[in-house]
Amino acid sequence: MRAVEPDRTGVVDRDEVGIYYEVYENDGPTLLLIPPSPITHSRIFKGQIPFLSRHYRLVTMDGRGNGKSGRPTVPASHTRAENVADAVSVMDASDTAQAVVVAHCHANWWAVELAAAQPDRVLGLVSIEPGVPYLGRSQPHWVQANERWEEVLEDPQGWELSNRHAIVTRHRDWVEFFFASQLVEPHSTKQWEDAVGWALESTGEVLVAGEEGPDRDAPTNEEFEGLCRSLGVAVLVIHGDQDVCQHVDRGRAFAELTGGELLVMEGSGHLALARDPVKVNRTIKDFVDRTLEVPTMKKSQTWTRALDRHKKALYISSPIGLGHARRDLAIAQELKALQPDLEIEWLAQHPVTTVLERAGETIHPASRWLASESGHIASEASGHDLHCFQALRSMDEILLANFMIFQEVLEEGNHDLVLGDEAWDIDHFWHENPELKQGSHVWMTDFVGYLPMPDGGEREAYLTADYNAEMIEHIARFPRIRDRAIFVGNSDDIYPDVFGPNLPKIKDWTEDHFEFAGYITGFTPPSPDEAEAWRAEVGFGEDEKVCVVTVGGSGVGRDLLEKVIAAYPLAKEEMPELRMIAVAGPRIDPESLPTHPGLEVHGYVDRLYRHLSVCDLAVVQGGLTTTMELAAANRPFLYFPLRNHFEQNFHVRHRLDQYGAGRHMAYADTSVDDLATAIGNEIGRKVNYRPVETDGAARAARMIAELI
Amino acid sequence: MRAQYPDFEGHVERDGVQLGYEVFGSGDRTILLLPTWTIIHSRFWKMQVPYLSRHFRVITYDGPGNGRSDRVTDPERYTPAAYAEDAVAVLAECGAASAVVVGLSLGAAYGSMLASGFPDRVAALVMVGPSIPLTPPSPERSIIESNFMAPLSKEAKGWERYNIAYWHHDYRGFTEFFFSQCFNERHSTKAIEDSVGWADGADAEILEAEALAPSVSVDAWKRVLGDIQCPVLVIHGTEDRISPVGRGIAAARLTDGELVAMEGSGHIPNVRDPVRVNRILKDFIDRIADKESVAL
Repeated sequence: MRAVEPDRTGVVDRDEVGIYYEVYENDGPTLLLIPPSPITHSRIFKGQIPFLSRHYRLVTMDGRGNGKSGRPTVPASHTRAENVADAVSVMDASDTAQAVVVAHCHANWWAVELAAAQPDRVLGLVSIEPGVPYLGRSQPHWVQANERWEEVLEDPQGWELSNRHAIVTRHRDWVEFFFASQLVEPHSTKQWEDAVGWALESTGEVLVAGEEGPDRDAPTNEEFEGLCRSLGVAVLVIHGDQDVCQHVDRGRAFAELTGGELLVMEGSGHLALARDPVKVNRTIKDFVDRTLEVPTMKKSQTWTRALDRHKKALYISSPIGLGHARRDLAIAQELKALQPDLEIEWLAQHPVTTVLERAGETIHPASRWLASESGHIASEASGHDLHCFQALRSMDEILLANFMIFQEVLEEGNHDLVLGDEAWDIDHFWHENPELKQGSHVWMTDFVGYLPMPDGGEREAYLTADYNAEMIEHIARFPRIRDRAIFVGNSDDIYPDVFGPNLPKIKDWTEDHFEFAGYITGFTPPSPDEAEAWRAEVGFGEDEKVCVVTVGGSGVGRDLLEKVIAAYPLAKEEMPELRMIAVAGPRIDPESLPTHPGLEVHGYVDRLYRHLSVCDLAVVQGGLTTTMELAAANRPFLYFPLRNHFEQNFHVRHRLDQYGAGRHMAYADTSVDDLATAIGNEIGRKVNYRPVETDGAARAARMIAELI
Repeated sequence: MRAQYPDFEGHVERDGVQLGYEVFGSGDRTILLLPTWTIIHSRFWKMQVPYLSRHFRVITYDGPGNGRSDRVTDPERYTPAAYAEDAVAVLAECGAASAVVVGLSLGAAYGSMLASGFPDRVAALVMVGPSIPLTPPSPERSIIESNFMAPLSKEAKGWERYNIAYWHHDYRGFTEFFFSQCFNERHSTKAIEDSVGWADGADAEILEAEALAPSVSVDAWKRVLGDIQCPVLVIHGTEDRISPVGRGIAAARLTDGELVAMEGSGHIPNVRDPVRVNRILKDFIDRIADKESVAL
């Protein structure tokens, strides 16, 4: 799922070639984002669009030859003039009188020509890794490849693939090699996959035409330098000093000729906008605001003396499922007991907000800007299958969008404390941008280590190890980013594996880098006496056998719900006293599920743990929160981890085994008949799990309270 | 020892009165830090000078009656208009065509007079805790009006000491009280000691002369502020006991200026919260400079 969708899209017809554009409306000034096509299209700016569109009106376009634009295959359709005219047409079609142009790589050439041809319409130029002709220095591998551009080479390798024949016959090889060369930064697997994927939406023929076209009407060196010198708009150049495509000296020369500002990003390659988007985004905004004199400060503001400030915390609770919300609420309540003058604000999104609003907590108004993480997770699920690791990876754009919001909230609110319960965005991007850290930071999680699913093969084993390695390196290099790292659980709960080849054991490393709060259920299970009262309270009859079915809050569980509902009549036949209560959760419409006599289907159920605590059987997914509630309440339950969900299949299952709790079942291997039988066998069974601690929230709160 | 000594110091004579000034740093942009009520002298900018002079050329000077300037007892030299003339003389002496002008308390009144009367000289104006009577005084201070010329009461407490006879009787007793009110933030001992020490540079006779200077009416002040065309920033403590924060809010409104309310701060935040004030000043001055370069 994208972090933000355009308000409108359009295609402008340019002599039979359609040029696709998107508009993100906003009252602010307009930015026109021009990608270097046909090697890529407007998605190359995916890290910039959500952030910039909150501050400015954006117009993006796919250059000719890729994305949703036409695919001309003759060089005559890829001249400088055609590309510049495309940008002008998009400005016209999108009703953009004036714009600051943001361009990447060779799109900067078009941007310069555009600014020269339409000086009244271009207010400034943000030039990212400018691929303009002549200036500075050319990379020697390009020069060499160009010398043999026309030759038919025998088995070309590496840069030799930059050849008019090889690009066509070995298009994928070329694209993969090219982007692997550009992503010099370690741990860039996702950016590489993205860039290769976008490139492969076009073809080798188009790419060759795109290379040859601009030569047909290229200016001379002198003409181009003259153009730069007389450009007359404010210019910002952002250039990685390790850029393998455009030598950083080119960016330097371009900045010098245009009198522009220059940000050299040390250690960065050609795709710094994708690899270090936080820095790039903030630099663009700073430049645009200064150039256009956008008031960045409210005309009237208040600053409070340090000792007159209230203690303030910002709590970020992972919105993936409902489980985090209640444990975080429990921690927050314990924390307020220790620090009564602490004010807690929540930066939270649905469905966490459901729980927080009922509890009367303060939700920060910027929360409405957050891109939906649970919506993304639901969109990645298919049937009873959620590839959780890949879903987290493909959430990169949403995490970045939400981090940018978080950082603005923090810089305005000056919170003393940031509490992140699996707030991946904050932890990751603070380690990537450590100068942005403010306040004390508490990182909380209930699992450590990405683990590959067997179906993922070698590639997934490589990727999970790479992600783990990055996390380990982050923490080794910047121990100051996490002031406390709290593991919600005990060290025996840690899955007995390594982070990957040549990486530490997860358990050893976690014991060295975390404190252990014990498990946090967020409620105290009833004693046997209380259980009777609870049962009466939630309306379970003495002679009834009640089976509760719940799939959590993420909306992924429709298939399991349907299968259990299908098993209900069979089980009911064997056991007439069976009553089934199915809880669809806030993201599945209960009306859309099948009905049977004696079956109750509910949407959201407040404090569902009460029902779970006194049921005779529960059927659930493999999510940690719900299964541990059942373990804590000592109830029999069947659990079905989502297929390909590494956390449910490894981490949660291992933890439940520590408590001897629950019966694991595989969704794919369980027929409706099997399920009906299992319900009959398990319902009402006496179980005796290892007790689950009840002081976890208080322990966590004590660890946190030391920081304020 | 000072953190920073002037690169140049001298005197400028205006109409028979010697005014001591100091110049720090050598930036392209000149910042003029104005004198305030003559009870203290230019050292009250000590927390600003070292920082600002790394970025700008900073000029400070003492007004008549304190510091390195002549001890003047003629009330006519203490009118806001006279202060504006002094500032023009200092700028001319230093070869500055114009400057960003910063004034604290009464200094903000002098700066306003300068900005409205000599608009070419003032690129921008910053008023810190402006003591311009745009709103009534705080209730505690309202006694001053009736009590100021009253006969001596040796037992005077609090704002009763704001009395000419008391100044002559126990000058130090007055200044200690006065600065305890300026610095009402907790833990302000050093700030109070500094100011009481600087107050010894003046005396009761000088304060009396200053107090007898012809005053400017409220309506006249509103016209002065309304005339100001340059960018304006107002910084005002919400707990200011000398000049209530409402005056700063009104000053910002009349000048269409920016306002930073310093919550919990008293009358002299540049001394008591210097880091914040320094950064606000730098940010404001930089933004002014950006605007000017765009205009060019």
